[in-house]
Amino acid sequence: MDKPLLDRKLLSIEESAVTFNNWSKNVRSPSTEVEVVEIIRSAYEKGQHVSLVSGGTKLGYGGVKSEYDLTLSLKDLKGIVEHTVGDMTVTVKPGTTMKELQDYLQNHNQMVALDPSWPEQATIGGIVASNDSGPKRLKYGSARDHVIGMRVVYPDGKVIRTGGKVVKNVAGYDMNKLLVGSMGTLGIITEITLKLRPVPKSENLIRLSVREEALDELKGYTKQIQDSMLEPVSLELVTPSLSQRLFHDEGYSLLIAFEDVEKSVDFQTNWVEQHKPAGVNYTTISNVKEFWNAFSEIHPNSLTDSKATQALLKVGTKNLDVFSILSECARIHHEGKVTIEAHGGAGHGLSTVFLEGDDAAIVNTINHLQHYAHTLKGYGVVKHLPFSLRQSVNVWGDEPSYFKIFEGIKHKHDPKNTLNEKRYIGGI
Amino acid sequence: MLFKKKKKDIEDEHLKNLAKIVGQKSILHHKEDLLSYDCDGFTIHKSLPKAVIFPKNTEEVVAAVTYCSTHNIPFLARGAGTGLSGGAIPLHEEVVISLVKMKNLLSVDYENRQAVVQPGYVNLKLTNSISAKGYYYAPDPSSQYVCTIGGNVAENAGGAHCLKYGVTTNHILGLELVLPNGEIVEISENGVPDMPGYDLLGILTGSEGTLGIVTKITVRILKNPEGKKTVLAYFDRVEDGSHAVSDIISAGIVPAALEMMDHTAIEGVEAGAFPVGHPKGIEALLLIEVDGIIEGIDEQIDQILSVCRNHNVRDVKVARDEEERGRWWANRKTGFGAMGAISPDYLVQDGVIPRSTLPKVLNNIKEISNEYNLRIANIFHAGDGNLHPLILFDSRIEGETEKALKAGTACLKACADVGGSITGEHGVGIEKKEEMRFIFTDDELEAQIAIREVFNPNDLLNKGKLFPTPSRCMDIKKVIKETAAAQ
Repeated sequence: MDKPLLDRKLLSIEESAVTFNNWSKNVRSPSTEVEVVEIIRSAYEKGQHVSLVSGGTKLGYGGVKSEYDLTLSLKDLKGIVEHTVGDMTVTVKPGTTMKELQDYLQNHNQMVALDPSWPEQATIGGIVASNDSGPKRLKYGSARDHVIGMRVVYPDGKVIRTGGKVVKNVAGYDMNKLLVGSMGTLGIITEITLKLRPVPKSENLIRLSVREEALDELKGYTKQIQDSMLEPVSLELVTPSLSQRLFHDEGYSLLIAFEDVEKSVDFQTNWVEQHKPAGVNYTTISNVKEFWNAFSEIHPNSLTDSKATQALLKVGTKNLDVFSILSECARIHHEGKVTIEAHGGAGHGLSTVFLEGDDAAIVNTINHLQHYAHTLKGYGVVKHLPFSLRQSVNVWGDEPSYFKIFEGIKHKHDPKNTLNEKRYIGGI
Repeated sequence: MLFKKKKKDIEDEHLKNLAKIVGQKSILHHKEDLLSYDCDGFTIHKSLPKAVIFPKNTEEVVAAVTYCSTHNIPFLARGAGTGLSGGAIPLHEEVVISLVKMKNLLSVDYENRQAVVQPGYVNLKLTNSISAKGYYYAPDPSSQYVCTIGGNVAENAGGAHCLKYGVTTNHILGLELVLPNGEIVEISENGVPDMPGYDLLGILTGSEGTLGIVTKITVRILKNPEGKKTVLAYFDRVEDGSHAVSDIISAGIVPAALEMMDHTAIEGVEAGAFPVGHPKGIEALLLIEVDGIIEGIDEQIDQILSVCRNHNVRDVKVARDEEERGRWWANRKTGFGAMGAISPDYLVQDGVIPRSTLPKVLNNIKEISNEYNLRIANIFHAGDGNLHPLILFDSRIEGETEKALKAGTACLKACADVGGSITGEHGVGIEKKEEMRFIFTDDELEAQIAIREVFNPNDLLNKGKLFPTPSRCMDIKKVIKETAAAQ
């Protein structure tokens, strides 16, 4: 089987919706919150079902409902609302792409410390709603750690503010947390206020690599790094198949990033080189920013074009179980039924698995990996899969024993299942 | 004593049954024993519980909660009772479920950087237990030597170092919870991130004991930073201190801590148990800490020193050693209690403001102090805009307690008016219920109450906390509905 390569040509949302659904032909694209309120209130009163979209990169993420009455696109609800440089907070509308936001903040030497995939296409609204994060999560955390406030339109048209504009706040329940990762099933986010960080003064990226059989040696060194005084921003393990595509190297790679003042970055870089075991190869990556940009686009999204069936799986485990997940991925890859490229954060426990192959093999592999993660007390969530196949797998994995709390929360927010019905866990 | 009066046996049927669950030695029911439980760190309001029970494990918590819930007996959970907003004060003759006997460290997994503790485990004990291997638990509220991690979860406790490392919610990986109906819920028992489904860890942390009783907590542990350096800077004008704070942050430095004290606060800490000999007549001091890789610290410290000098600092110095650093921090961390040395009573407030509004709000607080004729000391986490105005008063003088409460409310209003919040780490409890209206509309309060109804539908658990009463429109609607149903 050919190794998966992404076609860089992106489809329009309308084209990709044919395969991925979560879409209605009846699309409304409001550019103000007032319009959002009018549209959703009217839909609510009529008992309609509405799907939400913004950048359109996540149409393949959950959702088993075949038809919606209306699609509400937030792509035109965009722009910076407020940025108080000295407070290091920014308020932004959901349709703003991650790249637009970061480019703007870069002028002020600040950043949102999130590195999700496809920053040029993915919008902050979608990133927050799906709680997407990248390799640098190890140091900076995920969207739930950065969002400090929101404006949310409930299905009945009420506008609710959650949190506030200050970086520390325990007034009332932390409603932000419910919205982050809720896949648009609770409300429509119309404004997001985020905590910012200064752009690091210096950064570096090291690649350690070992032959496939020597993974344990890399694991041992990862533990040693974690137990040292080093403060890596990422400890991202990469399977041999993905190393091959990225580095033309057939072993496992470990991507270690440092971001700090220059002296600290240099010290840590040297430390890694000096302490590495003999069997581990050490290289530095020269253009770090360019590399991370490219890395954010290594997996498909619903706008990328592909003849073959592709899937993405997000696997959550304990930190070091990332080694088990990735070596299981490598084993399956060698069986040859599907192509698998995977990477995972050995300091945060989240792996991303990219599958390409025929439909039956993909479904089987997803089931297998979900089961395997389960034996490690983890889980697997399908982040990207064509609509036709989402019916054949359990996208969100098994429901937890406390599922009725989720149902209760959904019901309180959205009693008529107006928003993104059947998009989320257990058919919520 | 020879003639020790034998205490009366339990007469109340419910208490007899609860005693069977936790054991006779694990229940308090005599009035004199209950007095210590009539308030927490918020001492202005007091009322007695029906009884206090001390379960030893989750099963006993489940049995007691199930019993209370079946028999419609209000109940609440309590840790060390250090909360500053009255979250553990029984308002409805609750059965207080004290978790102090569930105080074990259950496991530590260094490789995966997590530890599992029972709710009654004391915050600082965790760091002490793992420090030999170079690890620590980041949230460090000032009361950390006595407060429990269960209480920290309930309040989403912060601390001086949360500027860089975040508050409790950023460090909770898993929770075992007993719902008000007695069901056990285990969320991310292995500490795995992003468990599919709504972020219950996020909504539970900081819910002030109104959604469930936490019986087991998985927390993230961190490796000690390689180095730390601490700077102490004295200013003759508060404005200079405030501007120095802004400039340190704009220089792209992320200090581990950035604390400020004003003139009155300095007077207090110098009269307290840990004076460090701050010079006289100082209007503001900053305590600034930078940590991380040793190689990178010095240049950041140099930058901080030059920022302070650019803002007319009177004197600025770097702690010579760990001993000196420790003394500076003891002086700061015992700051609230030290107010007892200069005032018979004090009330701590906990507003948060956007950092850039600091000079304006400090001025407003000065005006409030003048208006109410009460001294107000300011000790605060300047880096994240979390103010702690300490209102000094004398409860023996008639009407002064009420005056202090009003001044506190005025301080919170000043914070809310610049787009801030009424609490950054102490919680709403009963203290700031009405002030919730400063920052939330009725609809927004209802949206939160709706969440409480999912977990705690009969409102038996920690009733009357967090949300303003009476006359919430939702309550009224409910009463109307109930009355209609009864007719």
